[in-house]
Amino acid sequence: MAASAKGDFFDSSRAAVQDHELQRKLESASTRHLDHFAIVKEEFPSYEDEKTAAHRIKTDAIAHLDELLIQLTDKLQDSGCKVFFAEDAAEARKYIVDLVKSKGAQHVVKGKSMTTEEIELNPALAAAGIDPVETDLGEYIVQLRGEGPSHIITPAIHLSKEDIGQLFTDKFGTEYTAEPEKLTAEARERLRAIFLAADFGITGVNFAIAETGTLVVVENEGNGRLSSSMPETFVAVMGIEKVIPRLEDLSHFLEILARTATGQKLTTYTSFITGPRREGELDGPAEMHVVILDNGRSAMLADPVLREALNCIRCGACLNVCPIYRRIGGHAYKSVYPGPIGSIVSPNLFGSAAGYLPFASTLCGACKDICPVKIDIPRILLHLRWKETEGEHPLKWPAALERARSGARRFAGIARHPRTARLLGKIAAQMLKPFAHNGYLRWMPPPFGNWTKYRNFPRPHPQKRRPAPAENQAP
Amino acid sequence: MAEAHKILATIKTALEAGGQPDGHNHAAAPAPARKVAVTAGAERAELATSLARELEAVGGKFVGILSPDEVSNRIVLLAREIGATTVAIGEGVSIDMEEIGAALERADFKIVKTVPVADVERAAMRDRVANAELGIAEAEYGIASTGTLAVISTGTRPSSLTLLPTASLIIVQIDRVMADLAAVLASLGPTRLAEHRMTLITGPSRTADIEKRIVLGVHGPKALHLIVVWPRDE
Ligand code: SF4
Repeated sequence: MAASAKGDFFDSSRAAVQDHELQRKLESASTRHLDHFAIVKEEFPSYEDEKTAAHRIKTDAIAHLDELLIQLTDKLQDSGCKVFFAEDAAEARKYIVDLVKSKGAQHVVKGKSMTTEEIELNPALAAAGIDPVETDLGEYIVQLRGEGPSHIITPAIHLSKEDIGQLFTDKFGTEYTAEPEKLTAEARERLRAIFLAADFGITGVNFAIAETGTLVVVENEGNGRLSSSMPETFVAVMGIEKVIPRLEDLSHFLEILARTATGQKLTTYTSFITGPRREGELDGPAEMHVVILDNGRSAMLADPVLREALNCIRCGACLNVCPIYRRIGGHAYKSVYPGPIGSIVSPNLFGSAAGYLPFASTLCGACKDICPVKIDIPRILLHLRWKETEGEHPLKWPAALERARSGARRFAGIARHPRTARLLGKIAAQMLKPFAHNGYLRWMPPPFGNWTKYRNFPRPHPQKRRPAPAENQAP
Repeated sequence: MAEAHKILATIKTALEAGGQPDGHNHAAAPAPARKVAVTAGAERAELATSLARELEAVGGKFVGILSPDEVSNRIVLLAREIGATTVAIGEGVSIDMEEIGAALERADFKIVKTVPVADVERAAMRDRVANAELGIAEAEYGIASTGTLAVISTGTRPSSLTLLPTASLIIVQIDRVMADLAAVLASLGPTRLAEHRMTLITGPSRTADIEKRIVLGVHGPKALHLIVVWPRDE
């Protein structure tokens, strides 16, 4: 399922919050990632400049998307590629499944690609009797478990090395080990044989350069290189937003992508693929196809606030800093794209089933701060909340805003008189006391009930005195 | 391609509906100026040292900065050190790979030479490259700031050389080492980029998919060795 219903999300997130082992794994992985990021950022004084440049280039590219896609298509065709524009997931799936069938391909290998997860390609291939093999180690692991990825960069982030060791023993009958080195060696050997026999390869695309028709694929393992160069037929799947104008634009993105995604200066392998192999060459496909996917993206383009989300380069950093993601993990979101950016794109790519996701945020802003292309994620989430509730309630945004403002004004009025504020605080704490349980308010009487519907508030403590603000200080 | 026109038309309409992105000055501001490294004398050695240091930081192994006469012997030594029996080797960019291949053969290593292949010979050639314990290739460029090597794949220098063998040795001329990625992309230019497959290689193949712990050699080479060579006339 690309995205499923709201009730599921509340159930799954409630369950995930109780899963302390999951939180331990997420905390450890996220912390490790952020530590690496802090180091590489420190060592790279131009990081902020590169971010600004990347933001500017991407915003510009998105504003000229139609022209760039025409240019890209021309160049791809010049270099010998076949280009297919898919309006939605179903069209993209059908094109690829038909192609695999028409080639009579037996062994389909896949490099890591969130876009193919988005279009649910694997189940479609399986339904046609073809078993594609995910070759990114993390994807391979989750595929063996019959799951989807729980993070856009680290698909198996929710699993411990012991989980994976057990999985390998169960699936391959090999001796149990939880050593990452040994598990990796086992996967290498199995997948290498599959690569050498593969006749059909599929990968995603990180950037497509319009001026040359070059596809850029970024990875660490080498499975993207293998998937795109060993098989006779190769299909690259990209969203319409992946195009950038010029080769010279690329360095700005590459300089920031690896730093934020994995804390590396550059990923181990960056492949530049322009067309199928030339005569006499050993590497590259005989036939290369590029599937360019819309699937709801052009609708995002038409919304001036949402459009900014198409700048995303899928670095995954906003997941790692998100307090919600770190508590519940990727699977609880019930969408292929989890975390802050997932909460924005999912409702737009997968429809109203994921409309609840923009509410799964505290709007703390950590995502905005880390985003390498400076996407104002909280702002877009608020915008989506407004759009989502607009249909449901007569309450319109300006009215809601006015109510919030007047509330804030009243609060400010009271807060200016410390003694009154303390007194009111004490009264409120007393009144709320009967509703508290284990230090938390889980239920409140109307009209406050909406606050506690999906949130628990710490119980206010009457004896806890806030320090009185120093009065009459210059602001 | 009827679909393409339809989707492009949708995109165009969407762009018009969305208007100019707010808070964005549309006049294409020039990209921040990039200095292209002037590589002369001591600065070259400095760039090469930085390349070596950065590559080692990501698990690569720096063999040394060698004169052209030393290269063959050092490679024979390296092949022995890693216990290779078969070595895959292609054509150089500017280095004489024939000489290196001959030296390896004299030292009793089996050599797989990558030559242009017809479609039917592909699988066989690939298996032979994959069975080599060491693949030798020359990079077009080195990138000092990130420890990266840019290899361009051709009929005689396939990308497989740096991908399939258990270990990889990449050689780069010292005057091809540039300060950063932008300088390399600028020097390469769009026309040449579009002619062949290019790969930027920064260290041996690696993964961090199991509890974010770094393991080298998941699909590609488990080890990456680097030799920097002085030009013949210096
Ligand atoms: S929104 Fe920003 S931080 Fe999140 S994945 Fe996209 S580029 Fe990365």
